[in-house]
Amino acid sequence: MKQQGVRLQIPTINDTPSDFDDLFELWGIVQGCSSNVTFDFSRCEFLRPNAVAFLGGLARLVEHRNRCVEFDWDTANHRILAILRQNGFAGAFGYIRTLGGPGSSIPYREDRTYATGVENDIINYLKFNWLGTGWVRVSSKLRDVIVGRVWEIYDNAFLHSESSIGVFSCGQFFWRMGLLKLAVVDFGIGIPANFRRHLKAHPFVEQLTSAQCLRWAFQQGSTTKPDTTRRGNGLVLLKEFVNVNHGRLEIYSQNGYALIEGGKEKFNNRRKFFQGTLVNITLRCDERCYHLADENLADPLF
Amino acid sequence: MNVEIKTLVGYSCVTSEDGQRVYNEIYPKLKSGESVCLNFSGVRAFASPFFNFAIGQLLKDLEPEVLNRLLKVEKIKSDGLLVWRRVVKNAKEYYKNPEAKKAIDEILKQQAEDE
Repeated sequence: MKQQGVRLQIPTINDTPSDFDDLFELWGIVQGCSSNVTFDFSRCEFLRPNAVAFLGGLARLVEHRNRCVEFDWDTANHRILAILRQNGFAGAFGYIRTLGGPGSSIPYREDRTYATGVENDIINYLKFNWLGTGWVRVSSKLRDVIVGRVWEIYDNAFLHSESSIGVFSCGQFFWRMGLLKLAVVDFGIGIPANFRRHLKAHPFVEQLTSAQCLRWAFQQGSTTKPDTTRRGNGLVLLKEFVNVNHGRLEIYSQNGYALIEGGKEKFNNRRKFFQGTLVNITLRCDERCYHLADENLADPLF
Repeated sequence: MNVEIKTLVGYSCVTSEDGQRVYNEIYPKLKSGESVCLNFSGVRAFASPFFNFAIGQLLKDLEPEVLNRLLKVEKIKSDGLLVWRRVVKNAKEYYKNPEAKKAIDEILKQQAEDE
C-alpha cells in the first residue's frame, strides 16, 4: 500500500526576500514531517533559478532521510514545465521528455560530493553553460575573471558547509537586461553556526547574531577552517568584484542575511530560518562595468 | 627551476588541491635556496584557494625577502596577480602575527558592542 505523505504546495517564487521566506517555509515543513513528500505546482505560476536550485536540494534532503519524493508534473502549468524541462531539473527527477535547447536557462546542477575533477566540471559549467552560450556576450577575459570569482562560492560551499547532500545550483540569463543570475545552495551547517563553533571559546561569541557572523565572514582574513592555510579571501574578492561589476550578491544563511550592492553592505537578522547557505548572485555582462586594475609584475611579489 | 603551471595543474588555478601540488613542487627548492620561476602562460582562471596553498603557505617559514629574491613569476594575467597579491598580503599579516585571533577579538568586541 502506498504510504500517505505530505503534499508540498509550491508557490510562485521570485527572488525577493519574501520569496526566500516562502522557500524557507517549505524547508520548515519538510523538517517537521517524517513521511514521503509530493511536490505540487498547482499554485505556482513562475519559478526563478534560486527556487529551482533550492527545491532540488530540498528533494534530495528528503531522499537522504530515506523518504520518497514525488513530483506531480501534471500540476505544473505549461510555462513551469517548460522551464523545468529546459534547465534539466525535470529530467533529474524522473521526467522523461526533455526539451531540445536550454532557452535562457542555465542548467540545474547537482554536485553530491566533492570528488576529484568536480572543479573542472563546475568550471566548464560556468564557462560553457553559464557564460559560454551564444546569447551571453562577454569577452574571454571577463569570462575568466567571473569564473574565478564564482568558483569561490562553490569552494566555500564544498569545504565549509559540511552539507551531507551536496551543492545545488541553477541560473538564468536575462538578455534584455544583460543580467546573469546564479543561485548556489547547500543544506549544511550554515555560516553563523560554523563561525560560532570555530570560536566557541571566545567570550563574545554567544552574544553574536547571525547577521554579525555574516558580517565577519566578509572581513578580510576571516576563515572558519582550523588549519592556517585558508585565509578567507574568497568572499572579499567576490564582494569587490560584485561592486566593480555593479552586480548584486545576497547570502541567506540560517536566519542571517547579507546584501552587497552598489558599494554598500547590509547585514540583517531575519525571521525565517533555514539550515544551510544560499548564495544568489547577479552580474552584468557589460565590459564597461569591469575595469581591471593594472597589476605590475615589477612590484615585489611578497 | 622553471615550473610551467599549465602543465602541472592545467588551465585553471582555482583549487586548493592544485595549489598544494605547486607548493609541493616549489617549496623544497626554495627552502634549499634555489631559484624558482612560475610560468602562468595559458592559465586563464584564478581563485584564492589555489594561491592560499601554492603561495600563501610559503610564508609560514620563508621570509618575504627570501621569496622576493628566489621566486619569480612570468606571464600571469592581471587578475591572477590581483588574487596573488591579496592572498600574500593576508598571509603576511597572519604569519607576522601568529596571534591573529587578536584581530578577530577586536572585530568581535566591536560587533558585540555595536548592537
